[in-house]
Amino acid sequence: MRHIDVHTHLMPQCLWKTVDGGDDWYGMRLEAGDGLGFVAGNGKRIFINSPKLRFTPEERIVNMDEEGTDVQVVSIHTPLFPYHWEKGPAIQMSKDVNDEIAGMAKQHPSRFSGLATLPLQDVDASIEELERAVKVLGLKGAEFDMVVNGKTWDEPEFLPLFKAAESMGALLFFHPQPQENLVALERTRKYGLSNSIGVPLEDTILVATLIYGGILEKCPNLRVIVAHGGGPACFGMGRMDHAWKVRSEARVNIPKPPSRYQSQLYYDFLTSSEVSLRFLINAVGADHVVIGSDWPFVGWDPSPGGWLESLTSLSTEEKEKISFRNLEQMLGI
Amino acid sequence: MRSIDVHAHVTPQCYWRATEGGGEWHGLRREQGARGREVMISGSSRGQLPPRSSWTPEQRLADMDSLGVDVQVLSPYAGFYNYELPTATAKATSVDCNDEINQMTTTWPDRFASLGTLPMQDPAAAVAELERIMVQLKFKGAMIDDKINGKMLDEPEYLPFWKAAEQLGALILFHQGGDTVVASRIKKYHLPNSIGNLADRTLTFASLVFGGVMDACPDLKICFSHGGGYTCYGIGRMDRGWQGIPEADRLNPNPPSTYLRRFYYDSIVYTEEALRFLIDQVGVDRVVFGSDWPYDMAQDWPVSWIMEMESITQEEKDAILWKNLEGLLGI
Repeated sequence: MRHIDVHTHLMPQCLWKTVDGGDDWYGMRLEAGDGLGFVAGNGKRIFINSPKLRFTPEERIVNMDEEGTDVQVVSIHTPLFPYHWEKGPAIQMSKDVNDEIAGMAKQHPSRFSGLATLPLQDVDASIEELERAVKVLGLKGAEFDMVVNGKTWDEPEFLPLFKAAESMGALLFFHPQPQENLVALERTRKYGLSNSIGVPLEDTILVATLIYGGILEKCPNLRVIVAHGGGPACFGMGRMDHAWKVRSEARVNIPKPPSRYQSQLYYDFLTSSEVSLRFLINAVGADHVVIGSDWPFVGWDPSPGGWLESLTSLSTEEKEKISFRNLEQMLGI
Repeated sequence: MRSIDVHAHVTPQCYWRATEGGGEWHGLRREQGARGREVMISGSSRGQLPPRSSWTPEQRLADMDSLGVDVQVLSPYAGFYNYELPTATAKATSVDCNDEINQMTTTWPDRFASLGTLPMQDPAAAVAELERIMVQLKFKGAMIDDKINGKMLDEPEYLPFWKAAEQLGALILFHQGGDTVVASRIKKYHLPNSIGNLADRTLTFASLVFGGVMDACPDLKICFSHGGGYTCYGIGRMDRGWQGIPEADRLNPNPPSTYLRRFYYDSIVYTEEALRFLIDQVGVDRVVFGSDWPYDMAQDWPVSWIMEMESITQEEKDAILWKNLEGLLGI
């Protein structure tokens, strides 16, 4: 069975070449420390928690072959999102990264597809770069954080961007920045809970914001994939529907209950249990679930595609849709 | 067949009386908001008081008859936690709330059972009030918030409270008050409630389990309102997180999923699919009927909602609607 993985992170070679030479890459430099050290600057200190974050495209392909992954849809490691930088460097950095990812896909067209990084603090510049990325570079869309410098996606200033993405057929992959701006950060400092609870909570708030904010209502053909299976959004959808029934403020942007919009979105299969994946599929349909492995951060047994194929509660038809058919169709690959 | 509702709130009549005509109840006030809605005011915080919250016990009993609820396990309105106020104020409001709930239960022992509220900002005072209501007033337990002025319940200062609750056999019902974790991101669309309540409950499960409280207190009885939030759905990721903690640093020796059956979960999950999932994950003996009376987020017609489900057996319905709580609380 072919395996196409939409959730794979990348730290670009242009960054490594620069910082390994002792230079600044857009204000970021290598810092020694625990393990593989840090890339630090612009108010952040990114721990290099996997040696695979340094992999060249060719090393990635070797690892993909070992895991049985046919295609990775790559997007940058989210701590590198430049939304809080000055606009100029953020625009230039986005172009550099997008050029590199496009180069990977051009060089290895059967193994890589790419998603762009955008300078989202500047909506006009983001639309311009998304157009260049999709129409000129051949990228498939872009990766977005759950929040832009504190602003949620239902702010009216973002609507032109969603409209542009919709008209271009661009795929938007939403993924939170672990550790940086999680809403639950203060209450998840211990026991690794920022990752195990804080991250899927972000995915859930994002699903709710796109629905209640009327973005899916206004952009019916917008193509969105939410990481980590959308968190527990599908499990909690009944409460969101109830809030829509009893609270006028929950109805301001949407004439239908939230559950009627949840199948407009796509979700990766990273639910961390078969029963939860089964619940997600029952809620949104196997046509709306795709492989997303969180490469290189999750140790899959035996591999992302191998895990999917081993599940007993999914039919072969469902597995094929999740494993490759849905993404083949969405990405044209 | 009976029905026992573990999630039903009381805004005590003593508050309504004291605040009539602009008066104060331990410094708390009441105003009429837009369209004549009653609003509770405590310092800078405001809470909506729905129409049924002012009802007398007799009016409540008539509504219970209509809904098919035989027994309400009463708990105070969460707006009266008052953890941010001076301990003396919270002690006084707790005593008032608890005494009035006690009066309801002693007047109608077949229709009500009691959960109290406690001044949790002062663990010793909370233990003292818990002892009073459990020993003198024969309460079934107490309802508390997921966080106490920003602190989670795995902080060492709360261990004596947990030990006391365990020793007294008190059922502790978790229910949010004030802002949930979602409120600092977005306040629109009722998300601090519709997502925040579920997130807060999940964080509480994790803090008690990862924090070692459940191991320190093996006989502790805890019930999560709102079905425990996202706990049962998201437990796989918590297990994966636990596996990533070095063994020497783990406070809980077993994976979080093995603790699911240590808790009780109320049934307010709004869809049959979610209730079926909850039962399958935690076991039907751990799911108890809860309605969230008298709020707009309450389950509509909560008894018949469960009765008509096709994927839940009659035996399971009996367990959820009354048998589990009969056994747990001796009702």
